[in-house]
Amino acid sequence: MATMGAAIEPTGDPVVDVRNLSATYTGRPVLEDVSLQVRQGEIMVIMGGSGSGKSTLLRCLLGLHRPRAGLVRLFGQDIGGLGTRQWAVLRKKMGVAFQGGALFNSMSVGENVCLPLREHTRLDHTTMRIMSRMKLEMVNLGGFEHLMPAQLSGGMLKRAALARALVMDPGLLFFDEPSAGLDTVVAADLDELILRIRNAMQISLVVVTHELESAFKIADRITVLDQGRILMTGSVAELRTSSIPRVQQLLTRTYEEQPLDTEAYLRRLTDIVD
Amino acid sequence: MHTLALRVFTEQLGRRVAGGVEDFGHAAMLLGESLFWLLLGRWWHQPVRLRAIVDEMMQVGVLAIPVVSILAFANGAMMAMQGIYTLRQFGAESQVVASVATAVTREFGVLIAGIIVAARSGSAIAARIGTMQMSQEIDALRVMGISPVRYLVAPMLVALTLMMPLLTVLSDSLAMVGAGLISMIELKISFGTFLQQVWLALTPGDIWQGLAKSLVFGVLIALIAASNGFNASLGAEGLGRATTRSVVLCISAIVVADMIFTFFLIL
Amino acid sequence: MGFPVEKKQGFSVVVLNGDVDLSRSPDARRAIMKSLKKMHNVLVDMSAVDYIDSSGVASLVEGFQYARSNSLEFGLTGVSEAAMNVLRLARLDQVFPIYASLDERLATGA
Repeated sequence: MATMGAAIEPTGDPVVDVRNLSATYTGRPVLEDVSLQVRQGEIMVIMGGSGSGKSTLLRCLLGLHRPRAGLVRLFGQDIGGLGTRQWAVLRKKMGVAFQGGALFNSMSVGENVCLPLREHTRLDHTTMRIMSRMKLEMVNLGGFEHLMPAQLSGGMLKRAALARALVMDPGLLFFDEPSAGLDTVVAADLDELILRIRNAMQISLVVVTHELESAFKIADRITVLDQGRILMTGSVAELRTSSIPRVQQLLTRTYEEQPLDTEAYLRRLTDIVD
Repeated sequence: MHTLALRVFTEQLGRRVAGGVEDFGHAAMLLGESLFWLLLGRWWHQPVRLRAIVDEMMQVGVLAIPVVSILAFANGAMMAMQGIYTLRQFGAESQVVASVATAVTREFGVLIAGIIVAARSGSAIAARIGTMQMSQEIDALRVMGISPVRYLVAPMLVALTLMMPLLTVLSDSLAMVGAGLISMIELKISFGTFLQQVWLALTPGDIWQGLAKSLVFGVLIALIAASNGFNASLGAEGLGRATTRSVVLCISAIVVADMIFTFFLIL
Repeated sequence: MGFPVEKKQGFSVVVLNGDVDLSRSPDARRAIMKSLKKMHNVLVDMSAVDYIDSSGVASLVEGFQYARSNSLEFGLTGVSEAAMNVLRLARLDQVFPIYASLDERLATGA
């Protein structure tokens, strides 16, 4: 049984290092001067509501969105200047579990989990199959490898995606909205699983979520994004005791009107959008 | 009032042209990247898989055989009937076999095969890639270090360029069978005689012309369908629009390419 | 670079060392399977393993399964703490026969 020990003491250089990142999406600025570090073995939760820029931040970290300015380093490498080949090497050290699972619909669960191995290694077929079954066991999907993704429930899809993300034993795992769309029991199980995997594999995690409960449960540190800027980064305790009003609003989920910039408001209402 | 209408018109025209250029650029990029993976993929340990190509050949080619057969047969028969009707007025119905044979091998056999493949696969490919884009499967491929072009587009490109000539040969043959049956009935000649006349009428150039076109059609369908899939905007509506657009553009591209081909080859 | 196989007390002892990862686990698998196919009882000496990833563990699993279906013995000896963690994660520590050393295995008789 995997032990649910204390969090691994973070050591060494940050695995993820973001410096002064700014990004636009379809011309609109969505990230402004974002900096954050994720240390070895740490679970960093990036939290924010819709439109906070957290999705764009994740896409920047994954190299799927090119930032307007700033720097992203993964394992010490600046991803802005990587060639196709260097990217391919780096990609093998990171796993990504997407929000809806993003399993390939034309393949069985087992084939999905096996795909990174088939594409990137020259291991024997038996070895690959055992490896993917081991990972499916780890996410409690043992025996489901022959099912097609369409036959899985939302929670199972996410766990299968997690198995696929972990199959190459990555040092860094990204998880997009683990609890979104799941009922609370299933979501809590998934949080438990994330913690267990981190403790056992000593992996660094970046989890993007808008769920407070889930964030508090799994995070070593939380970064709160609001309207494209970082409100604060800190431990769960630091977040709870933060004196920043907007953070407290997010925690208590109260909605207070933002101070109105009348000039800008009028412009937004009357500007002709092309 | 007029100036406003003019402005709207020119703006829309400009946007269309810009969009068209962008599409063209995207398709050209897909072609370049596909060729890169086909040629150098193995050396980079990222080969284009034979199994993927065979699967695609099944989808785009083998499954199209029934439709292509039926339409080609019917088309051959219709061309023979029309030809006999027209040429009979000049007392030249014996020339019908030669004219149908050249028209089919140069033009209509390949055009029918092309339009059917465009209709079937042009939509299917765009829909598949568009759906994968929406469910983040394309992103998943990218973050796994698997090039979506290598994995999805290159096999399809190879499959279409291999299957189009084969479907064209099939389409030519069945059109000739259709024309032959009508000739047997209307001209009272045996099928052997019909085939002999076909043989005399055709030059290797006629057949090559059809096959060369089929290769180009295959490439056009693959690239246009794939780029429409990749550019599909989010949501079911966007997907539907991308699919429709893909079929329309594929068929238009085929017909226009055919015309350009014919222009340079005949004149 | 392959892994050495030593004949000791009726066992083929496959000595793994260093990192048994994606690039070297095929060698480990080959060494294990080769001994098993000669119908030898196999012990895998893991005392010098710094790191083993799931491809390495998968090779051990395959060997163990092959040994069982051919009534051969298969066990691990001198499993380092790092390797033990990986086995524990996959709950395979409860599956493999694990001994401190070859001597311990011999002391258990059978």
